[in-house]
Amino acid sequence: MSRLEIGLWSFPVLLLLIFLRIPIGLAMFIVGLGGSYVLNGTTLMTFAQLKHMTYGTFSSYSLSIIPLFLLMGQFATIGGMSSSLFRASEAWLGHKRGGVAMSAVGACAGFGAICGSSLATAATMGQVALPELRKYGYSGALSTGALAAGGTLGILIPPSVILVIYAILTEQNIAKLFTAAFIPGILAAASYMTAIYIYTRVTGDTGETRERMPYAQRFKVLLTVWPVLAIFIAVIGGIYTGWFTPTEAAAVGAAGTALVALINRSLTLRNTVQAIFATASSTGMIFIIVLGAGLFNSFLATTQLPQELSTFIATQGFSPWLVLTIVLLLYLVFGCVMDSLSMVLLTVPIFFPIMSGLDFGMPAADFGLWFGILVLIVVEVGLITPPVGMNLFVINALAKNVSIAETFRGVIPFVAADLLRVVILVLFPSLTLGLVWLLY
Amino acid sequence: MSIGTTLERIIRTLAGGMALAGGVVLIAIVVMTCVSITGRSMTSFGLAPVEGDFELVEIGMGFAVFAFLPWCHYKRGHATVELFVVRLGDRLNKWIDVVSDLLFFAMATLIAWRLWLGMLDKKSYFETTFILQIELWQAYAACMLGAAVFAIVSIYQLGCSLKRALQ
Repeated sequence: MSRLEIGLWSFPVLLLLIFLRIPIGLAMFIVGLGGSYVLNGTTLMTFAQLKHMTYGTFSSYSLSIIPLFLLMGQFATIGGMSSSLFRASEAWLGHKRGGVAMSAVGACAGFGAICGSSLATAATMGQVALPELRKYGYSGALSTGALAAGGTLGILIPPSVILVIYAILTEQNIAKLFTAAFIPGILAAASYMTAIYIYTRVTGDTGETRERMPYAQRFKVLLTVWPVLAIFIAVIGGIYTGWFTPTEAAAVGAAGTALVALINRSLTLRNTVQAIFATASSTGMIFIIVLGAGLFNSFLATTQLPQELSTFIATQGFSPWLVLTIVLLLYLVFGCVMDSLSMVLLTVPIFFPIMSGLDFGMPAADFGLWFGILVLIVVEVGLITPPVGMNLFVINALAKNVSIAETFRGVIPFVAADLLRVVILVLFPSLTLGLVWLLY
Repeated sequence: MSIGTTLERIIRTLAGGMALAGGVVLIAIVVMTCVSITGRSMTSFGLAPVEGDFELVEIGMGFAVFAFLPWCHYKRGHATVELFVVRLGDRLNKWIDVVSDLLFFAMATLIAWRLWLGMLDKKSYFETTFILQIELWQAYAACMLGAAVFAIVSIYQLGCSLKRALQ
């Protein structure tokens, strides 16, 4: 077999292992190791590489941002900021039709600004908002759908773990990527609220509304969320001004959320230990995938498949927009069965060279940011699409007396909103890039 | 108390203890970084950043991540695709678990073995960090703890899934 053929064959093998429920990181590790053996006739080189690769990966300064962001999200969950965000959101939106559901989305957006993970956002806001939504008579479908979709704002609105990984894989500037994610993130929250607005009007499936609050009182309630704003500004502002490195910013964020939890008297030894265990579990999961992907991608690079593929596609004269559409559709399909981080680590090293070889009429630096945001959004859709959308199950487990079929049905308007948003962001790159141009 | 539950307790304590140790180091990194930033921003008042703060983050994080692996594996917190095997039936699925855990055990041992050799490399080269002159083999040695417990947990998990498959 030629190098290229070995590279090509590794994919069906990898997918087979993954579909046989072998953990994704492990599957990539094994195929990377086995592939190098087939390629070189020996494992000596890979074994030599492994002597320092694991330590090197786990102690990498740029990756160290990930456990810190995870810890920050855990402290944010403890800190009681989720309920103040929900109250504030309700004060402004609760009197509208479907307003309590809109408030849940708004609160998710706020929480997303201090939490880089979708599952944590969905679970935290779900605990606060679900009982309230049910109390006001919202249907199981709408309440769980809105919260599952709202949870994805955790990762769409910076800080975001997926963007950190993308930045490392493609050597983008993390600060610029976070900036680029900002407007699409706001757009996401707005589009979910619009989805609720349209859904409740078309189907009549809505709950009671709350009494309209006078503006003076609204601002008073809004003021209670200042810690969230302060932490967000410290973290993102610190990265933007170059005052902190992204890793330092994540540490500051973790300290800030812990401090708020301490002031709110909700930080105890018991839930700190729980926060550590939860951080340990997610960190372990992510770093095993990162390690496996590292081994697999270094194998793939020696087969020269990514380079050949990118040259091939660049010389075929395909329309760049067609290729982009196909790539984004592939992400949507794979997102239905695979988690977003594995998908990014597996595909970006292959797709990014291909896509950067095509001419989208923008500088390479801009393209890297724009493509990153598009990838972020399409992989996040996978979190709310059946059959394996994790957010759906997290929320459904929190909601008693709501069947999973109802949740699947309830999320449809939000998936539609997501798809529409991808099209808009593809057609108007300046929505993503405008803020970057303005600030840098 | 049966042998099974005693063993389960020991594994849980080992993995949990490692995770907590990693968590303490992670929190120490947070505190150290905040102190360092404060020092850096107040140099005009005679304060200074923590010397070698980046190195401390790297070494601490290496330890923490290794320390988190056993807990993750104990809790089976890995990312998997569950969709296609459901149809394969209960028995086949249990054997898939055995194969999966066997491969996991192989990976965990390989990682630990290679880390050990890497540590010996660093020791023989007397390689140190740039600023604090910390000997790198010591950082590797700290990580060996987590890597070893990871391998132990992976044997335990293999045993558990084998037991389920044979029942």
